[in-house]
Order: sequence, then structure tokens, then C-alpha cells
Amino acid sequence: MTTTNGVPVAEGLFTETADGPRLTGSRCATCGTPSFPKAAVCHSPGCTESKIEDAQFGPHGTLWSYSVQYYPPPPPAKYDEPYEPYALALIDMPEGLRVMARVSTDDPESVKVGVDVELVLEKLYTNPEGEEVITWKFREV
Amino acid sequence: MREVAVAGVGMHPWGKFPDKSVTQLSREAVEAALADAGVAWPEIQAVSAASSRFSGGKGWGLNGNDIVEEMGSTGVPVYNLSAGCAAGGNALNIGYTLVASGLYDKVLVVGAEKMPKGFIQTSGVEEETDLEYLRQLSVGMPGPAFWGMLCRRRMEEHGTTEKQLAQIAVKSHKISIHNENARFRKEFTLEDVLNSAMVSYPLRLFEICPVSDGAAAVVLCSADEAKKLTTKPVWVASSTVATSRHDDGIPKGLATITPPGGTHHSEASVAVKRAFEESGAGPADIDLVELQDNTVYYELAFPEEWGLCEAGEAESLVESGETMPTGRLPINPSGGFLSFGEATTAMGVFQVCELAWQLRGEASARQVPDAKVGLGQTLGLGGNGTAVMLKR
Ligand SMILES: [Zn+2]
Repeated sequence: MTTTNGVPVAEGLFTETADGPRLTGSRCATCGTPSFPKAAVCHSPGCTESKIEDAQFGPHGTLWSYSVQYYPPPPPAKYDEPYEPYALALIDMPEGLRVMARVSTDDPESVKVGVDVELVLEKLYTNPEGEEVITWKFREV
Repeated sequence: MREVAVAGVGMHPWGKFPDKSVTQLSREAVEAALADAGVAWPEIQAVSAASSRFSGGKGWGLNGNDIVEEMGSTGVPVYNLSAGCAAGGNALNIGYTLVASGLYDKVLVVGAEKMPKGFIQTSGVEEETDLEYLRQLSVGMPGPAFWGMLCRRRMEEHGTTEKQLAQIAVKSHKISIHNENARFRKEFTLEDVLNSAMVSYPLRLFEICPVSDGAAAVVLCSADEAKKLTTKPVWVASSTVATSRHDDGIPKGLATITPPGGTHHSEASVAVKRAFEESGAGPADIDLVELQDNTVYYELAFPEEWGLCEAGEAESLVESGETMPTGRLPINPSGGFLSFGEATTAMGVFQVCELAWQLRGEASARQVPDAKVGLGQTLGLGGNGTAVMLKR
């Protein structure tokens, strides 16, 4: 269940639109290079003139590979107690980005390489104020 | 550019040494390297040191200054090099350049580390403009999970099995019992490795390297000085540094562009390929490799990315024992990071010590027969890569 209640893990990384969740980044109008998060200038070394425009990415992707984290990660990562292993992945998006993300699944060991996935915004952990801290994830479609 | 020789090498054993400071570890390695070279401390004309983020250096990575104070302040120039886990390789490169350029005849290169316990926090700053920090904050991707993803992709592309991954750890530890400087000197069976805890699927506890304390030092000198010091010199055939390319398929922050234009680990492969070009020796001439095996995965991926074997061939080389010291492509005859643990910024210097011992024929039961050309390689946070080739 996608939720947009709570607080984002960091500002400016994702947004909820009328068409569903999107990652927020940028694209260079000159060379087409996408960037997530948003870049101040084009990072493509061959680009002749940096022209950065806001861009949104998603919701579609393909799962390139994944891992399952069986031990609690060191700071600054945070998690709810008791710790539960989670899956994380690299997702190839049709906009030309390979993005790191959590995988949204109840069974991390069921994740498969090559499957179609879609972007969701979900809880990462609950902060001391009791608010859900939200991050971007992908789940199999 | 002038020819550069490795006049002497020295190492403090790897392990956990709560009663010694990082500077004490360094001094023991430096004294060993100076003795090995037959060079007295006051003869050293410059120091190139790896900067530690974790220990000593007055909190500024000034580890080279600490070592000079410890050895006796002669007023020598000190270069403190920061490049994450590639810092030892960077320090070697600067030391090499200082001698090759003709600026100095005798230069000390040193890397040392005392590591905190457990999984290390990769970013040293807590700012959302720091992409490494942002990655850990929003996704939570410790080093082993990152390596696990790359390894899982390899399983998809080449059919790599969990048994083959475990065989690499078995190989490393089989060698480790012959290296008195290694921290984990114990043979493991395939079952031992496969029964060790899953850390970051598909990588198990015995298939990733823990962190260690350790120190290594190298004395580099000009050809004229080498002739005075030894009749059997070992030479630096090439030393290179590179950073990752924009079109690398592995994200450094939260994302990269796709499809990737170059290889993965471009910082390493570019450094290694330039090391081949500058040395005049190619992959076929390499007798042994000391590569950065933070995890067994790299013993499969790197040899292929550098052209030391065909794509998809690495697993069969492991299975047939060809990556053992007596095999066709000896990989990490020191026992590797798996047997030593990673004293992060010391590792690039550690590799040069092992290469020198191998080329001199002083590696006892782990000796690569008749080794003439060796390759070392590091990979560090921020997209830093280094390579070094030694020859005799
Ligand atoms: Zn551009």
C-alpha cells in the first residue's frame, strides 16, 4: 500500500503527482543527460553547454540486480526494531537512469532479476516523533 | 622519466592491536622497510603517506607528518594522500613520480590504519549534499550489499554458483596459513564457508573481508641508488591513478546513466590498462595479481574486466585451481584482503610489499614459481582507482 503520509527522508528527491509517484531530478536540454538527484550543472564531460531543466522520472523500471541485507546497516541508515532484512536493488529506468532503491516486498528472498517494477513511496522507518519517514522504493508489477 | 626501483619493503602484521597507536604500527613497518633497503632514516628525501580517516593524522589525515615526527623530524617534504581505500595506491604513485621525475633519489611510501569495529559508515560527513551520505540515509546500502548486488548480477549473466563463490574463500585461506603477516591464518572447508552467516545475499561472512589494523612501507629509489644497494633490484614498471568515468554502469551516488558506455569499475580498469601500456607488458605477461578482494566477487570480475581471462572464464579458473600461486593466473598469493582484513588506506602499499617478495622469490610456501611481472590494484570511495606493476 503506497502512502504519502509522513515526512520525506530528504527534501527534493520525490513527489506525488496526479499520475502517481515520481522521482524528481533534472535533464540537460543540450545533451539529454538525466540526473537524480537534480544536478546544478550537466555532468556529461562531452556536453557543449549545460542547460539544466527540472525533470521527473518514473514510474516504470526493470530490476537489474539486488541484494538482501541480513544485518542492520551502520548509520546514517535507520530502521524499526526489531530489525527485518530488506532487499535493495539497482533499477534501470526507461528515462536513461540506473537508480538505487529499496525493493518493496514482504519477502526479500523472492526478488528476481529482470522483472518489471514500478515506483512507490513508502515508509523507511518511524522516527522518534512517531512520524513515518518516507523513501522511494520499487515493487514488482 | 627515470627508472624507479623498490629498494626495500616492510610490514607490520595485520590484526587488532588495541595497545598500539597507528603511528607505532607505521614505525615498525617503516623500520622494516629501511632495514630491508639498507637505507638510514635521515637519507629519506621525501615521504608520501596515505591519509587515514579513522586513526592518527591529527584528525586531518596528516599521517605522514605523524610518521616523520615519530622517526625524527628531518625537515623532509611530506605528501598526505587521500583517496578512500585507494589512498595507499595514490601514495605509491606520488612516491614513484617524485623519484621518476628526478626530484628525489630516495622516497618513503607508507600506509597504516587502525580501524573501528564492525561495518564502517562510508561517508564521513552528514550533509544531504553528500551523495554517499544521502545514499546511506535513504536506501541503506552498506559495502557488502553493494558488492552483493554486483555479484547477484554476475550469477544471472554467467551462472556463477554459491559454491564457486565459496571456493574462492577456501583458496584464499588455504594460502593464508603460509603468510605470517596475515590476520586469519586458518584453512576453511567449502562447508565452513557455505555455513557461515549470510551477510548481504549472495555474500556470506567468510566471503567478505572484515576491517583490520595494519601498516606497510616501501622505500623507492633511483636506478643509480639501487645499484649501490642491491644486485637483485625489483623495478616499478608502471604506476597509474584514475577516477571513474561518467558513463560507468555503477552509480557513485543515487544513480548513473544507462545504458553504460564503458565498463564497470572504470576507475580500476582504466588504471590497470594504462599500467599495461606504460609498462610495455600486457595481460599475457602478468605472473601474479594482488587485487582488491573486499569480496570474493572481485576475483571473478576484475580479471575479466582487465583482459587477464575471457568473460565467463573466471569461475572455471577458480574451480581448476589456476588462481592458486602455482596456477596459470595466480590471484592474491598473499592470501588477499580476505585473509588480512582491510586496513583501508594501507592496502595499496601492502600489495607492493607482497609483489616485491614474490618477484625476489622470498614468498616461501606461497611463492609463485619464477615470478617476473606482478600487478597490484586498488579501488576507493569517490571513484578512485590505482594500479602498479612491478618487474625484475
Ligand atoms: Zn549536457
